[in-house]
Amino acid sequence: MIRHPVAATRTYVLVWVVLMILLTLTLGSAYIPLGSLNTVINLGIAVAKALLVMLFFMHLRSGHPVLRIFASAGFFWLALLIGLSLTDFLTR
Amino acid sequence: MPVRATYLNAGFSLWSWLSTHDHKRIAILYTISVTLFFFIGGAAATIIRLTLISPSGDLVSAETYNKLFTIHGVVMVWFFLIPSIPATLGNFLVPLMIGARDMAFPRLNLTSWYIYVLGGLFTIGAMIAGGADTGWTFYTPFSTMFSNSRVIAAVAGVFVVGFSSILTGLNFIVTIHKMRAPGMTWFRLPLFIWTMYATSIILVLATPVLAMTLALIVFERLLGVGVFDPALGGDPLLFQHLFWFYSHPAVYVMVLPAMGVASEIITCFSRKNIFGYRTMAFCILAIAVIGFLVWGHHMFVSGQSVYAGMVFSALSFLVSVPSAIKVFNWTATLYKGSIAFDAPMLYALGFVGLFMIGGMTGLFLASLALDVHLHDTYFVIAHFHYIMVGGSVMAFLGGIHYWWPKITGRIYPDRWARFAALTIFVGFNLTFFPQFILGYLGMPRRYHQYPPEFQVWNILSSAGASILAVGYLLPLGYLAWSLRYGARAGPNPWRAKGLEWQTPSPPPTDNFAATPVVTEGPYAYSATAAAHG
Amino acid sequence: MADSIVLKPQFDDAEQERVASDLGIWVFLATEILFFGALFAAYTITRIRYPEAFAVASRLTNITLGSINTGVLLTSSLTMALGVRSAKLGARTALIGWMCVTVVLGIAFLAIKSTEYYLDYTGHLVPALDFAHAGVHSGPIEIFFYMYFFMTGVHSIHMLVAICLVCVLIAMAWRRSFSPEYFTPVELGGLYWHLVDIVWIFLYPLLYLVSRS
Repeated sequence: MIRHPVAATRTYVLVWVVLMILLTLTLGSAYIPLGSLNTVINLGIAVAKALLVMLFFMHLRSGHPVLRIFASAGFFWLALLIGLSLTDFLTR
Repeated sequence: MPVRATYLNAGFSLWSWLSTHDHKRIAILYTISVTLFFFIGGAAATIIRLTLISPSGDLVSAETYNKLFTIHGVVMVWFFLIPSIPATLGNFLVPLMIGARDMAFPRLNLTSWYIYVLGGLFTIGAMIAGGADTGWTFYTPFSTMFSNSRVIAAVAGVFVVGFSSILTGLNFIVTIHKMRAPGMTWFRLPLFIWTMYATSIILVLATPVLAMTLALIVFERLLGVGVFDPALGGDPLLFQHLFWFYSHPAVYVMVLPAMGVASEIITCFSRKNIFGYRTMAFCILAIAVIGFLVWGHHMFVSGQSVYAGMVFSALSFLVSVPSAIKVFNWTATLYKGSIAFDAPMLYALGFVGLFMIGGMTGLFLASLALDVHLHDTYFVIAHFHYIMVGGSVMAFLGGIHYWWPKITGRIYPDRWARFAALTIFVGFNLTFFPQFILGYLGMPRRYHQYPPEFQVWNILSSAGASILAVGYLLPLGYLAWSLRYGARAGPNPWRAKGLEWQTPSPPPTDNFAATPVVTEGPYAYSATAAAHG
Repeated sequence: MADSIVLKPQFDDAEQERVASDLGIWVFLATEILFFGALFAAYTITRIRYPEAFAVASRLTNITLGSINTGVLLTSSLTMALGVRSAKLGARTALIGWMCVTVVLGIAFLAIKSTEYYLDYTGHLVPALDFAHAGVHSGPIEIFFYMYFFMTGVHSIHMLVAICLVCVLIAMAWRRSFSPEYFTPVELGGLYWHLVDIVWIFLYPLLYLVSRS
């Protein structure tokens, strides 16, 4: 019989609580005038939320390393698209 | 005497073919479809070359000429070159070469062929409805705002066929990761498998960007507003960045499989292990990765910032390095090998030489100062045709000939095959070398008229094209002949290494009687042993 | 019965089938990241060129409905994850229950989104329809809303597909197709659901929170 690691319900609910806290933080901090720091905070929180979903809800934490590589590859390649394009748009 | 069960006689009805899950049958479905599209794209090229015989270019109207080079590009890129080696030879050989019974997802494999056919129908429909005149690159704002041709229909065809590529790539990646036979470690894989893997990585990461970019064109054209619209503050260059982010890696989709085929053929017909196996494998991955970083070299004179131009130029020089290393290693493999000049080897050698010329001319184009003069001239056309036709198509034909006995169980007539290979080589060079000169002299691409002083080179090129056409038609003849009258092939007529040669020709549906166990590298040839027969 | 799972002929054993399916879905998810990614790239580049216009435009989005929807979607990810967990444990009733809640939350998301679209329409924020925003930034603002509708539209289509997939899973669970030994479709469906959630996690700050202070 195949045994897969089964996380406790508590873990999932805890992650959800953190996600909700992060949502509150990102919404709340948006109303505080911090200039460009607002965007940094918001995107940082978005990344944190995404990581929580991927590591816990999508089981990447306990998954095969190859899965983590392909998960990262998607984001990494998107970063390449945006980053290298910006060498044009930021230097015109 | 009972007939041996093979994948070919496991059902003779049309339905048994159209509903198959067998990767080998799907490969044949693809082979028939891509060949059909090759000749459609070739027909467009024929009319183009006929038009260009005269400087007034009035065989067809200007609008028709625009539609001809558009359909030539769209069909050749998306319906021939990108699927060619992966969907035909790749589909047939990947499970065999790794010792598996089939792909990881056979039904997905069949689905990807149906998606290909659907995309093809859209594109043929677009052609019949009048065609698009934007060029295969669909640049905005012409494609979104000013073209009065069937842009949406053509784009829809490409959008659909992209999903075929994505699913094929996904299937290859999972199959190569998870379905290898015992003992088949990563560094015992044939280099062809490495190229299928790298190609698949490109397909799954790049094609989705194209799909969305095409969707953006369609909606901008339909709605009259969009993110590329300068009147609203949009930037047409944004389209070019998104388009070439896919389309440059796409050219590595077209060439990496050809490199894989070349490695298989050169080792077999030199009776030698490949020189620098691990280096070759890493170069394959390097080409795939660095290939994603160079797309701005298509945009040097588009209005892109000159600093971005410098970055992309430097990266474009970098991507040539692993390709050059591969050429050195093929050469070193040939050195002191026991060389036989069978048709597959003629194609493989042709590939190496012509790819090298195409690649070196790429360096000219990667140089900012030179590209200012060469961009949008025939120099560019010659450059990419040397790689895609002199390189990829020759390797494709080489692969078809090399694995023909395995796929069909028949031997083709060798003299005809070698004659066709030489005809193609001569015809190809006569067609495209004059185009380097035309580009250097300043003849722009996508023009149906040109100054009279360019005529002699255009005539040479068109003459070459007629010879090339003969060369491409010959295999249709003798390969078809061999299906009926060719000698029956044994499991390993070339005495090659590789798991695909350890099973009968044609293979049974399940590929192997028993799962093979791998104990050695992929090219355990010995030149001395071959010399003694 | 769920015990007699038919192993597909290309696989040697159930474990190989499971790891192959897992890798397959993750490769597919990577393609989805790049599929949406092209839109994120277009958005990013346009925003860098017109920061003030995007700030003005973002303030015109409905932050209340957008924030509620974010909460709804995050919660639906929890319920879907708990559903997958139930499948692993063979708890059929819990599995069906959690997946039903997930579907309800998904439909709630789409309902709220539709309301929001209607409000955007009455506010004359739909490009090409009756977009009316006076001012020096009106061009890039129209582009913002073009991207807003495009990105949330593509996201909503994915949401619809995800809802349909989970409904199919509910039907399969009802017919006792799953067991602790075989629940791959539930796992794959869950992963797709979470991806749709992750896309929204990034859409939310980029569309709603650009300049609220």
